[in-house]
Amino acid sequence: MLYVVLFFTLFSFFLYVLLGGADFGAGILELFSSKDHQDSIKKRVYSVMGPVWEANHIWIIILIVILWIAFPGFYNIIIIYLHIPLTLILLGITLRGVAFVFRHYDAVKDKSQLLYDRMFEFSCLVTPIFLGMTYGALISGKIILLENHPNADFASVYIKPWLQPFPILTGFFFSALCVFLSATFLIGEAKEYERRMYIRKAGIATWVVVILGFITLAVAYFEENKFVLDVLKNYYAVGAVVLSALLIVPLWKSIRKGKIVWCRFLAGLQVLLILTAAVGAHFPNLIITESGQISLLDNMAPESTITILGISLIIGGLIILPGLFHLLKSFKMIKILENEEN
Amino acid sequence: MDNLDAARMQMAFTLIFHIVFACIGMVMPFFMVISHYKWLKTRKPVFLKLTKSWQKGVAIFFVTGAVSGTALSFELGLLWPEFMKHAGPIIGMPFSLEGAAFFVEALALGFYLYGWNKLPEKFHWLTGIIVGFSGVASGILVVSANSWMNAPSGFDYINGEFLNIDPLKAFLNPAWFTQALHMTLAAFVATSFAVAGIHAWQIYKNRNRELHLEAFKIAIVFGAVAALLQPLSGDLSAKDIAKRQPVKLAALEAHYETEKGAPLYIGGIVDEENQTVSYKIEIPKALSFLSFGDFNAEVKGLNDFPKEDHPPVAITHYAFQIMVGLGTLLMFSGLLYFISLKKKKWQSSKKYWLYFACLAPVGFLALEAGWIVTEVGRQPWIIHNVMRTKDAVTPMPGMIYSFYLYVILYAILSVAVTWLMIRQIKVLNNSEN
Repeated sequence: MLYVVLFFTLFSFFLYVLLGGADFGAGILELFSSKDHQDSIKKRVYSVMGPVWEANHIWIIILIVILWIAFPGFYNIIIIYLHIPLTLILLGITLRGVAFVFRHYDAVKDKSQLLYDRMFEFSCLVTPIFLGMTYGALISGKIILLENHPNADFASVYIKPWLQPFPILTGFFFSALCVFLSATFLIGEAKEYERRMYIRKAGIATWVVVILGFITLAVAYFEENKFVLDVLKNYYAVGAVVLSALLIVPLWKSIRKGKIVWCRFLAGLQVLLILTAAVGAHFPNLIITESGQISLLDNMAPESTITILGISLIIGGLIILPGLFHLLKSFKMIKILENEEN
Repeated sequence: MDNLDAARMQMAFTLIFHIVFACIGMVMPFFMVISHYKWLKTRKPVFLKLTKSWQKGVAIFFVTGAVSGTALSFELGLLWPEFMKHAGPIIGMPFSLEGAAFFVEALALGFYLYGWNKLPEKFHWLTGIIVGFSGVASGILVVSANSWMNAPSGFDYINGEFLNIDPLKAFLNPAWFTQALHMTLAAFVATSFAVAGIHAWQIYKNRNRELHLEAFKIAIVFGAVAALLQPLSGDLSAKDIAKRQPVKLAALEAHYETEKGAPLYIGGIVDEENQTVSYKIEIPKALSFLSFGDFNAEVKGLNDFPKEDHPPVAITHYAFQIMVGLGTLLMFSGLLYFISLKKKKWQSSKKYWLYFACLAPVGFLALEAGWIVTEVGRQPWIIHNVMRTKDAVTPMPGMIYSFYLYVILYAILSVAVTWLMIRQIKVLNNSEN
């Protein structure tokens, strides 16, 4: 059953990055667009993501619920030492969610729309940055545990571990990844002029992702970040990153030829490869503190809990996943297939 | 305010906020599908219009509930990491099932909101039903986690360690049934009276009478029935607390001395220092009867428990008085509605509509008071008789700033949602049916 639980942990992590990430990316795209484009993006995003956008953000709840039930010792470190960035993420998630619904369900369309739009766009930009920072902080080896340093001051325990070059760069890298995902997904939904705009933006995002990825790795390398060094030593992980980079070529070919399902698949695969490299190479020691590593499997919940959680997840998955696919199919795929036929 | 109190305040504040949105998100879909059903049956445009405007309300409240729920799922750990570390593996089951139910609700709502003119009519309507039932299911499931804190079970607590964990037994803890029943009914009472009250106000103001009358009729039936059932469920809860948490019972009744044939105190001002309750109304032997079904049964007073195990007595007692008082008022108002079905004249009086409009916030006030009773009444324990709240709190100092942040955020959200609702209703009134 442990494998079932691990599967769902990684599965919800991956889906949140992919689907939640694409949602955040859409808001960032909107922020960095001219006024005319903003309106068209807004409409497009609503028609595409509307039906599933709430579902996209439940994956993070599933993820943290699994973490606290099955891996309480591991979760405990995250929740105590990264309290501040997590609170900022929550602030972002809250403002983003309500802004999305306000701007589409306000009965009167007037100037307040402008406020909702800015609120939506800024929280879309800020939230993935803090998400990336949180992940970066977990693997940067700067977290100091109170039990080892009972007299450490507030800043060095609760602020410095995440306010470092590497976590910050990870944050920016992740938000660039969100834009890349979003632009690539949206290409398939648009036509002619609008489509060319998304292709252009996806192109820029690809470059930003590659450059930021390179800088992040370089900084980690020179800072002698243990996690990254270990990843670089692992042939599978390096292979996955290189393959992900090489996939850019077929991705762009399928974008040019208008093969929408393919380019979505490839973009998703690229992100999966990067995540696999980031998680797989160092599994299960996914937190690195100043004094050592913390394994996901340390202080795991007892067998009985894992068994019941595994069963709950299988039942939940059997109910939810067909529903989710049906929802995607009913609203999204019909449109895509129609577009391809034309 | 020290760190513990700040964390407590933040938790209380977030729950007070979330519970309103969660309840509306649970109950309003039922109004929506009934109006939708009437539209499919009669094809009267007024029902279509009502369905669509309620659907907007559902969407706004669902999302606000969902994001404040996301915040809560983090906050449990952010504020009480020690609690989550030990309780997580024990009460994980209701949380994971609640997550699943909530996911189903989000999916079904996606189908419903975007399904107009795209899905087959009956299937579309059915997705609305699924929204309602999965919402109620997630509410019932998550209450299990709270009732476990009142009735910890499914583990052995030996030398400060939680051993022999049995998540299924924890999930099916003995307080679950009474608490879930009480909460589900409360959600229906509070939401129904709130929605009915808002529409009653519109009728009072003579705006779009046809639509608001239909809306009122749908909402009030749920509220009236639930309000009549609620005292029975309250009686079950009281007997359950008397058995398992006698100190909570003593606090909510403000009884300091153990006595046989204990009287029921109504109202009164609690003086915690001198351990007295003045200006109360006493009903002889009633507390013994209500708690144990026996007029001469012994009811334990607070003084039978160590001082450090006492919850804040005054808050618990006042909150309990408010809950019971307002609940009784709503029960009689439900009765009044059913009588008014016979006495048609009443409904043509403006006072009738003003009365129901004034009741709009009452259900939610009772519901919040009820949560204060159960949460404050459990203090100083986070897990009854096992873990103290002060031992669960985060080691991070400065929680007061986090509290301020949440107060500001949620205050803005409350204002925004209210403002949005007012705009919805205005647009509704200014257009043809």
